[in-house]
Amino acid sequence: MSHRADAKRMLDDRGGYAGPTIHGINPAHLLDKPVLDRVVDSYYWKEQCFAINEETLCDRAVDMTYFGGTYGQQKPTPFVCLCLKLLQLMPERDIILEYLHQTEFKYLTALAAFYVRLTFEPAEDVYTTLEPLLGDYRKLRRRTRDGGYSLTYIDQFVDDLLTKDRICATILPRLTQRTQLEDDGKLEERESPLGAELDEIDQDSDDSSVMQINGNGVERDGSIISD
Amino acid sequence: WDDDEDAEADQVDDTDGLDPETERAAWKLRELKRVKRGREAIEVAEKEREEVERRRNLSKEEREAEDAEHLERQKEEREGKGKMG
Repeated sequence: MSHRADAKRMLDDRGGYAGPTIHGINPAHLLDKPVLDRVVDSYYWKEQCFAINEETLCDRAVDMTYFGGTYGQQKPTPFVCLCLKLLQLMPERDIILEYLHQTEFKYLTALAAFYVRLTFEPAEDVYTTLEPLLGDYRKLRRRTRDGGYSLTYIDQFVDDLLTKDRICATILPRLTQRTQLEDDGKLEERESPLGAELDEIDQDSDDSSVMQINGNGVERDGSIISD
Repeated sequence: WDDDEDAEADQVDDTDGLDPETERAAWKLRELKRVKRGREAIEVAEKEREEVERRRNLSKEEREAEDAEHLERQKEEREGKGKMG
């Protein structure tokens, strides 16, 4: 047994890590090395992330007013710091889902979504857990790398998580494409929350394409299009 | 986290429900784009499958003729590039 505290062991890079793993590796390594180093060196990590648990982490999370990776002189956001804390705590699945689905604190939802994308497996579990959030259009403030802010939305963020390789200064673990999982019969086709509305739109666009083929130059309301 | 950056942060307002209709409409547009992207991905995959199927059904001579044509076209393109330089 090591004489060092658990936190130290997780962040000890001399090899010989013996703690619990995610995707078969030390969870800390799910963050990129430079970001990890910045997080561990930051005041936020040292002061605000010290000796907190799944419950007190919420107090920090609700104080977040933006999310992002690093900004300015590669300063880490509280978002990535808390993400490392989650990787260290490895809360039970139910707790993560509770973070994800509570509706009061949107940045906590975003944090949980990021954590789910980093840690959940197999791939179909990531899709089924995160896709319901594609219908959540609450606004999020994102810290950009140059230190500015931009506006995005939970659905947009989740979509990025499912389709991009790199987000919040972190290279995401490889995720099998949705179409592939559908072909293998592991996942049903996604139902858009637009549902019936989407059918209506399809109907409309079918009508208009028929109109184009006929080329009769008459709009649906009957007025003649003048050239 | 304790920097005096609040003023800058306020320029991007993340308050929800200020204009619910517009917010929903904007989401709807994003969602439609996602649906469209998904359908296009399926279409591309279908096309590729069809192409593979088609090639399989060709005779050896036909396949070779097609390859030769393709190589010829590649060569022409490369020569074209050379002249540009």
